[in-house]
Amino acid sequence: MSTMTQNRLFREYKTLSTSPPDGITAGPVSEDDMFHWEALIQGPEGTPYEGGIFAAELKFPKDYPLSPPTMKFVGGGVWHPNVYPNGTVCISILHPPGDDPNHYEHASERWSPIQSVEKILISVMSMLAEPNDESPANVEAAKMWRERRPEYERKVREEVRKGLGL
Amino acid sequence: MEPTFDIPDSTDWLETPLTLLAPFESFLRCQVCKDFFDNPVITSCSHTFCSLCIRRCLSTEGKCPACRSSDQELKLRRNWAVQELVEGFKNARPSILQLAKKASTGGDAGAAVASEEPALKKRKIEPNGNEVATDGPAEDGIRTRSRSRGVARQAPAAPIEIMDDVEDDEYIPEDGLVPCPICGRRMKEEAVFRHLDTCTGVAETSKPAAFGSLASGSRRPLPVPTGKPPERLPAINYSLLKDTMLRKKLKDLGIPNWGPRPLLQRRHTEWMNLWNANCDSRTPKPKRELLRELDIWERAQGGSSVTLTDTTSSVMNKDFNTGEWSANYDTDFKALIANARKRNDAAVRSTIPNASQDGSNASQNTQSIGQSSEATTSAQAVNEEGSTNIQNIVVNRTEVQAVTESPQALNEISAAVKLPSNIVTETAVQTTSSAHSDASIDLRNGPSSEAEVQRYLNDGNS
Repeated sequence: MSTMTQNRLFREYKTLSTSPPDGITAGPVSEDDMFHWEALIQGPEGTPYEGGIFAAELKFPKDYPLSPPTMKFVGGGVWHPNVYPNGTVCISILHPPGDDPNHYEHASERWSPIQSVEKILISVMSMLAEPNDESPANVEAAKMWRERRPEYERKVREEVRKGLGL
Repeated sequence: MEPTFDIPDSTDWLETPLTLLAPFESFLRCQVCKDFFDNPVITSCSHTFCSLCIRRCLSTEGKCPACRSSDQELKLRRNWAVQELVEGFKNARPSILQLAKKASTGGDAGAAVASEEPALKKRKIEPNGNEVATDGPAEDGIRTRSRSRGVARQAPAAPIEIMDDVEDDEYIPEDGLVPCPICGRRMKEEAVFRHLDTCTGVAETSKPAAFGSLASGSRRPLPVPTGKPPERLPAINYSLLKDTMLRKKLKDLGIPNWGPRPLLQRRHTEWMNLWNANCDSRTPKPKRELLRELDIWERAQGGSSVTLTDTTSSVMNKDFNTGEWSANYDTDFKALIANARKRNDAAVRSTIPNASQDGSNASQNTQSIGQSSEATTSAQAVNEEGSTNIQNIVVNRTEVQAVTESPQALNEISAAVKLPSNIVTETAVQTTSSAHSDASIDLRNGPSSEAEVQRYLNDGNS
């Protein structure tokens, strides 16, 4: 299993480095530990996140790909309904089908061994563009997004600028 | 098996003119492990995976990873066609890739390859001939015979024709033979129909030597009798089994039966998956190989810490089977004993009073005494430091000797030093590279491999 897991992670790494999807970079922090990756995601264009570069860390379980990795934005987190204040990302593709604490996700959207890091990162990118406020991880952000959209967008833009050191 | 960055994958084709082979290759790979299908099986929902991958998925979730419809392990069926496709492609892959890479570098390289490569490989390029041809100077070398037939030939292309004559489906040599429509082997016309009844479709016999050797290299020789296939293991309803029954079950299967209940279940499941996937193989691996794979799995599971505590507790166990333990680690013990004897002989007669000084002295002594009875020294050092109060660890030279001769005694010693074991370990590491203390640590972990023991011994020697 460990060999299989590591080989698969190596393959995913190789695929991601030879043909990376637009706006996404990812790879292991150190090649000695394939179970700990970091990823950079560009804020999708046409959203308040545009222009931002968001760093996240991915941690893989020993039985990957049977179980999904966890993903956490590092460096201040991201103001978003589906991102916990500590940066942990909460989207359905990161949840194993067996466990649905919120009872709102379709099994088809959740983790399956045929998913991949690439698909996760693409999902996170589209999550940034289209928040899902059905079961928010950050209630404050969700409320602001629903009720005071301009304020939400302003706040996000500010954070993006801060994140870039401007 | 250290993973490297050379692991082949479908993106290898993206650097060549044959980019269309990238999706093609990914179709020949399992979506779970991303490797080429290994003993592919098809589910009731018509998805194909490696036997082991889908078994692992089904045993955790009971659903097809691709479409999430429920499925059962029992319903999996082998998919020979896919297996043959994969094997065929794997054999051809290196040479196609090589050819494609050289084609992309262009120029003389292309011509050189064309004359090196057997005709069979060149033909595979043909469907993409256009792409290749547009790629500049390489075209003359790469261009296949059928294309270049009507074109004025250039000198470097001449050898190709010679190669082609060796075997080429389109070109019919005037030897009076006809190719088998399945495997392509050439034979007399009247022999073809008889041959067709038995043709396996594998063209190995007619392949050039390099192909044949590759094909046989990917298959392991069969150490088990091929007569009857191994029997599949049935799934167990764990909730119906008491702990003792489950342990007995594992023991009967010949796999480790220590550890907490959840680990026992997971281990059994993994063993069942490994075993049953092996049953799907045309060339099943011997049980020893599967046990090794189980061991790899085991290590990956809880990390070494779990294994460590579990082995320790199994040594401490009331019903610990010393006979089996000594039998299992016999060679390790022998090596340790031999090493300890060597040390003992070389040692100056050291006595406990020599070692009974303060910590730093103890370390100096240890080195100056010529590293004898170091377990004693470190245990004593702990005592002297006053951090523990174990009066009963007065291990003198004879006892050390006894220990080295009897694994059981060593267990007792490790039991005795169990309380301050971290201190002992620390002291040992700090003060000496003691073979004895290393040995006792090693035993409590269970010598995991000969190499490891060897390393300990080497450390001790240096």
